[in-house]
Amino acid sequence: MGVTSVLECSFFVPLTRDINLADGAAHETTVWDWLDNELFERFGGGTIAPGTYRGFYTDPDTQQRVGDESYRYIVAVPISELDNLRKLLQAVCVLFAQKCIYLSVSGHVEFISPSHPS
Amino acid sequence: MKSYTDLRGTVFSLSGLESDERTLIARLKKQSERVADWTEFRNFWMAEVSQFYTAKGLSRREIIESVGYRIGQDLASRLGIAQGKMRPPDYRSDLELLILSKFQTRKEFCDATGLSEDMLSHVLARRKHLAIDTLTEALAKIGYSLHIMPNSQSNS
Repeated sequence: MGVTSVLECSFFVPLTRDINLADGAAHETTVWDWLDNELFERFGGGTIAPGTYRGFYTDPDTQQRVGDESYRYIVAVPISELDNLRKLLQAVCVLFAQKCIYLSVSGHVEFISPSHPS
Repeated sequence: MKSYTDLRGTVFSLSGLESDERTLIARLKKQSERVADWTEFRNFWMAEVSQFYTAKGLSRREIIESVGYRIGQDLASRLGIAQGKMRPPDYRSDLELLILSKFQTRKEFCDATGLSEDMLSHVLARRKHLAIDTLTEALAKIGYSLHIMPNSQSNS
């Protein structure tokens, strides 16, 4: 039986739209449903860590400190499917109105933007 | 429970389902009443539904379209709204998903519908609304239409 290398990937999705890109309000259920459907169809599922995660970062455009609250998704992805996850997160940037999404691939951090080369 | 009405007003008749599928849905509903956190219930319903339908030989796409999946997802959405973590469905998120699934770019969508890119940008950023006649005409050009549906009430 062949061995497929699978990596633990996790990413954060803020609970609100970016205040500079949009209105800073909570997302509609529709986009959360879309994300679950995509994760299920592409990767067979994924887990959300309990509760929410609070953090902050410096907005590259405004140089302002921005605080946010996010859900953390954890998904097992075969190495050959990593670009598939990156493409999904590019779409997440657009649908969830984010400048970028924090992705950790087995501890290696990437920031995925809508125009991320994948 | 003989039927289930989701947040969009879609009614699912449960009477024609097999007994084990009705049991699954009853289990989901009971659990959604026990937990208050969206993340906890989301993990529960996805695992339950995936295991149930996978054992019946359904593909992932078929599972997503199943009654159990759609009700589990709707129950989760209600929890998310009750927690104040998310908002009910809005035509603008529907519009954004339509663009993502059917068009390569927002410009392509605007070319097809006659909407200006500037206006669409403001609408999708939730800064503006489209007038209902403008939206109706734009959607008609790409083969879509608006519908008025009843608000979902309690499911019993």
